[in-house]
Amino acid sequence: MTESAAPRRMSAKARPSDRIFRSLSTGSAVLIMVILAGVAIFLIAKAAPAIAADWTKGDLASGTTAGHTDFWTYTGPLIWGTIWSAFIGLLMGAPVAIGIALFISHYAPRRISGVLAYLVDLLAAVPSIIFGLWGIFTIRKFLLPFQEWLNAHAGWFPLFGGTPSTTGSTMFAGGVVLAVMILPIITSITREIFLQTPRLHEEAALALGATKWETVRLAVFPYARSGMLSAILLGLGRALGETMAIAMIMSPTLLFSLRLFTDNQNSQTIAANIALNFPESNTLQRDALIGTGLMLFVISLIVNFAARFIIGRTGKTGGSKKKVPALNPTVALALDDAASPLDALHPHASSAHPEGLKPSQPEGPRA
Amino acid sequence: MKLKNVAAAGAIVLASALALTACSGSNNSGSSNSPKPSDTSSVDLSSLSGTITAGGSSAQANVQQAWTTAFTQQATGVKINYDKSQGSGGGVTNWLAGSYDFAGTDAALKPEQFTQAQTAPCGAAGALNIPVYLSGVGIIYKLPGDPKVKVTGQILAQIFAGKITSWNDPKLVAVNSGTTLPNLKISVVHRSDGSGTTANFTTYLSQIDPTDWTWAAGTAWPNNVGSGQQGGSGVVNTVEAGSGTIGYADQSSVGSATMADVQVGTSGSTFSTYSAAGATAAFAAAATDASQGAGDLTKKLDYTKITDASAYPIPLLSYDVLCKNFKDSTQGKLTAAYIGFIGSSEGQQVGAANAKAAPLPDSILAEIKTSLADVK
Repeated sequence: MTESAAPRRMSAKARPSDRIFRSLSTGSAVLIMVILAGVAIFLIAKAAPAIAADWTKGDLASGTTAGHTDFWTYTGPLIWGTIWSAFIGLLMGAPVAIGIALFISHYAPRRISGVLAYLVDLLAAVPSIIFGLWGIFTIRKFLLPFQEWLNAHAGWFPLFGGTPSTTGSTMFAGGVVLAVMILPIITSITREIFLQTPRLHEEAALALGATKWETVRLAVFPYARSGMLSAILLGLGRALGETMAIAMIMSPTLLFSLRLFTDNQNSQTIAANIALNFPESNTLQRDALIGTGLMLFVISLIVNFAARFIIGRTGKTGGSKKKVPALNPTVALALDDAASPLDALHPHASSAHPEGLKPSQPEGPRA
Repeated sequence: MKLKNVAAAGAIVLASALALTACSGSNNSGSSNSPKPSDTSSVDLSSLSGTITAGGSSAQANVQQAWTTAFTQQATGVKINYDKSQGSGGGVTNWLAGSYDFAGTDAALKPEQFTQAQTAPCGAAGALNIPVYLSGVGIIYKLPGDPKVKVTGQILAQIFAGKITSWNDPKLVAVNSGTTLPNLKISVVHRSDGSGTTANFTTYLSQIDPTDWTWAAGTAWPNNVGSGQQGGSGVVNTVEAGSGTIGYADQSSVGSATMADVQVGTSGSTFSTYSAAGATAAFAAAATDASQGAGDLTKKLDYTKITDASAYPIPLLSYDVLCKNFKDSTQGKLTAAYIGFIGSSEGQQVGAANAKAAPLPDSILAEIKTSLADVK
């Protein structure tokens, strides 16, 4: 195959279409770099005047930037709010997303899993303004009783304290909608990775008497760990940059706050703050908002680099486990040292027992 | 695989954004293809042709649409693009950059912007602030049983400063004799986005009760009392959905929400419901000349001067800003004809009928006509 292809490619070099396509694709690749650099340069150039300016007088002393002594006292709470809201969304969204992925890949009947996977992908196509409207008209009201209850009974806990919201425009409501919005990206990536778990790993675990859940824990999760992490970080990236839903749902304040259930102590995010204040801002205020955008750009870069770094690292250290071609079950089992965790799980049933072989067994094997 | 799709989509978005930027760049020169310059002062609208590019204040969005429709019915050769997504700040910024023929803004040009206009888009003759849109800030609320509530300026300042927190506060009860007010927590709702309505309302509060309202007036809500919502419709929607809520919104977004009667002046027992005539009367009383140059019609609203019983105490004024000398005098005449139509009694009636605007007093309309006569 390769031998016959090579000379053909040589002769095809002369064709103009080949050259055109090559230059087109090379150009596209270069364009990405140029665009990214362009965005970075634009942000820095535009933000510089506002970062350097005196915030106590002139344009910056009024409007959205009023009452801040410099760029950092303005941006600090925004950076916090961005990270905090994304974290809240992730905390609620990621476990559910991974649960859905696991259900699709390992639990659901084939027909249902296909439909479910399609539905989750469909969720990714819903524009964020729709999520915003849904949040305003439905989620806000729906969550109010729960928030009031938790505030009344667990208000001593810093996150749940403060004066409870009466309108429902809380950080929590924003977080719930964010969680829904990051579901599809995490689900679809982790689902793909779960499906790639070597069949032999799973069968080996089952053969050792592991239940379905134990199989998932011992064979699927270790294999998919770095993939899950990168999916979560991609979800985090989505949550960090989310604008419209947060702008529409959450009642924002510029402060450092952990509160989830209040009307007036929700830390505003960078993206929503830009969206809300850009239209009415004058030149220098716009520069300040672009400066906060630069900070968001930096945060997103850090998150993405962190994701790459983690994937790269776990790929190397944990790689010996995964990259062993699992052609020989004994090798795979030995490397996975699956026997010992199973022993730890079932000290009373470490020997083989017939029930453990059934994959559909819902509970741990009884001795 | 998913990632590649996302990246591709992002690339397309970026590319189209670039293309759009290029388009707007080409608009800078203004359209110079109108063939018939009409030098007469009383313009025959049907003879006009060309395109007016403008944008700014979202408070003017509805009324600009009504004016555009009415104007282009007579001036069939004219196209008017008013971009309301820009907001006042964005409108002025784009206008200063030369992209717009006029900008709609809820605040007149500041002195430094006025000076800047003499170099950038206008030349030595400078700019004109033309008041075009008069409306009122409505105090909207939602209470069980929908009782009619009266408020004073002081009570409003204290509610929005977080000092009055219950609907049966003695101060509220005192001015609402005969109405049973519920023992309900007051939930303040304000704008979370920068807004000319907020600027008008906070100016009113800081003038009427500076002891309780200690924040400077501005487009951004200054304290952390209550709940912030996006846009006038966001405030109205949240007030309507709640119970014990109170907020403010300009008339174009109030809709069917219940509006409170507001005390006229700082004492006495005269309370006024919003009406277009009330806003007109309020403007006539409150507006003082703050002209920044020959022909400029910047008005300063002194809310404490509104004492007439027929007036509504919180009027809202919005301007259109244009150059006195356009680079292309045909375009100047065209823009002046449109603003002139807005500033005619006919235009003001169109605004009142279609966008709940209050007609500007005739004396101001005369001033607008005089000022626009110099535009070329």
